Amino acid sequence: MELLRRTFIANGCIDEAAHAGLVAVSRLTPGTNILAYCVALGWALHRWAGALVAVVAASLPASLVVCVLAGALVRVQDYPIVRILLAIGVLVATVLVLASAGSLLRPYARRHALIRSTIIAVVAAVMFLADVTPVRILLLSAALGAIIGGSAQPLDTAE
Amino acid sequence: MNAFVVYVLLLKAIGSSFAGMGSLPQIQQDFVETRRAITAEQLSQAVLVGRSTPGPIGAYVVAVGYLAAGWPGAIAAWLAMVTPALAAIPLFVLMQRWLHLPRVRAAVDAVVIASAILLLASGVRMAADAWQQLSAAFL
Repeated sequence: MELLRRTFIANGCIDEAAHAGLVAVSRLTPGTNILAYCVALGWALHRWAGALVAVVAASLPASLVVCVLAGALVRVQDYPIVRILLAIGVLVATVLVLASAGSLLRPYARRHALIRSTIIAVVAAVMFLADVTPVRILLLSAALGAIIGGSAQPLDTAE
Repeated sequence: MNAFVVYVLLLKAIGSSFAGMGSLPQIQQDFVETRRAITAEQLSQAVLVGRSTPGPIGAYVVAVGYLAAGWPGAIAAWLAMVTPALAAIPLFVLMQRWLHLPRVRAAVDAVVIASAILLLASGVRMAADAWQQLSAAFL
């Protein structure tokens, strides 16, 4: 996103305020933030054509590489050395997942938002332990957040 | 698994998350636990492949679709990944009206926090699977 910001601001396509607005939109859009950012950027520049080109350019090459790698893994996963490498790789992926969770939580661990964030986190954890489905946990958390009110971070500084 | 079912299940998971990896807990529940379309090991491999590839973090769902239903599943997964992103267009149009509402921002914040908690739980499950795989690989 930072690279996109620099490139498009350097080219004069958008300014800092427009970038902040696009980041805010991407945070409010469900799914992968960077894809939403690209779609909103494409829309801002060339409406539907820009949005469609942006979403394809941002997602298709990586998706093809992912498919090829996944297909290759299926074919070689039974070799003992591959299984060892995969097991180590999965351990690394686990660390990356935990790190993703940490990076999501970090902006909400600021002092002024800590109590509010802790309440929401504890309620979500209790719901998870009570076998509530993820979608319901997210919906109930949104409702709880709206009831408590306040915001932990400005949307335009997220990511 | 039918490609349409892959699309619907992934759309549900992605559409209810606000981060690339935020869809993981729902995918774990639908694809691994409820429908058993892929194993926990395959889900971990999909995450590994997704994170090893340049591009959006959420692209690991394409590997999930591929492992669950081959190339039709991969195409369905790609469509499920890009569909919610198109919601950015109406949001962009409505942004000026909604963005400054404190309760809207607070609700989004709460969803992100809950996503992180679910992601932590998924990470703990993956760690247990990874440990089992590591033990099996060396024994």
